[in-house]
Amino acid sequence: MAHISINLLPIEYTQTTLKQAKFYKVQALGIAIILLMVFLASLSVALRVLQNQNIKGVASGVSAQEQKINSLKDKQVSLLLLQNRLQVINQYLGISSKQVKLYQLLDKLIPQTVIINSFSVDKSGQIVISALMPNSLILDDTLNNLVDKQMSGNMISQVSIDNISRGKDSVYRVSLTIKPL
Amino acid sequence: MKKEVIAEVYLTYRLYIFPIVVAVASLGLIVLIIIPQISSLISNQKVGDQLSHRFKTLEVKAKDLETYDSLDLSQKVSYALSAFPAEKDFINVIGLIQNLVSQSGFTVINLALGSQSSKALNTDSYTIKLEVSGSKILAANLFSSIESSTRIMKIDNIEISNAQNSQATDILININVLYSPSPASFGSIDSPLPKLSQKDEDLLAKLAGVSPFSPPDANVQLPSRGKANPFE
Repeated sequence: MAHISINLLPIEYTQTTLKQAKFYKVQALGIAIILLMVFLASLSVALRVLQNQNIKGVASGVSAQEQKINSLKDKQVSLLLLQNRLQVINQYLGISSKQVKLYQLLDKLIPQTVIINSFSVDKSGQIVISALMPNSLILDDTLNNLVDKQMSGNMISQVSIDNISRGKDSVYRVSLTIKPL
Repeated sequence: MKKEVIAEVYLTYRLYIFPIVVAVASLGLIVLIIIPQISSLISNQKVGDQLSHRFKTLEVKAKDLETYDSLDLSQKVSYALSAFPAEKDFINVIGLIQNLVSQSGFTVINLALGSQSSKALNTDSYTIKLEVSGSKILAANLFSSIESSTRIMKIDNIEISNAQNSQATDILININVLYSPSPASFGSIDSPLPKLSQKDEDLLAKLAGVSPFSPPDANVQLPSRGKANPFE
């Protein structure tokens, strides 16, 4: 059985009711938005306050640690000074200079029978030797030893004979200049 | 009359006025409170992170510093300074060289201080000219004993000459004696703390074992001298 619906209300009333319903919806949404904004604002303020408190706590901890380190400054100075000294000591202690190494090398390369009258090694490591060689064989040996790269451990770059003479006693008087590598 | 007009206008256009008011209020809250607070939160977060990182670093540094014994450290410093001092130590070095020369079987003929400091090495140094006499066979020992001494010295010139009618050899040596002034600054609170490696500890033990000039012993008690009561 079909119902018959008859609206006897004026059309203005219907329109007003519809407008009101729409406004209530807008109002509810607006209030919700305002409340959300207020909530977000108060949340951000609260977070900021909490963060400030945390930062103050950490800052006071930092200043306490600074005071502690200041009271131990003597130890820090000692450690830094010690490190500063040890760096250089490590660099030089137990390491022979070029001059001593060259002297030790020549001491090894020149036969015992050679009489060295004078020996000098300067700051650049250049060596000048004046020596007496009993015979030509020893002279050969000495020069061969000096120019042999393997025997000299690659420490000698050049050997030059400045002067050589043979005396009546058949002894060779030699002056050598040796340049280091 | 005016209120009634306003009320009537509002009632007529409230569907538009209310959302506009809400939008303005929300915008005001966002611009005046939320954005400044959030930007402060972000920037403060960075500051907080830096502070907490610094706190941790300083805490570790303070703990590390506490583990060091002051007496032990000062003794180590004295060993290091006796090997590589901050100033020219002529008297100590002259005594040491004389000892080394006599221990190597040589006799000192002349010992002179160089007039100028040398910068040939990576640090300051002064020169000592040493003339000794002795057997040539022992020369290598003398050189190595000078250079391996715990007081850092480097030989930069050697002259050896044999006397014609003598077995003795004259040796002239230029010795660079190293020293270096202490650093001008010893770091700030935030500067990292140097750590002594095992190599450093070994080196210090070596320096302590054969210190060229024995440092004053803090534990040595001098015998009491004079009267207990000087007014008696």
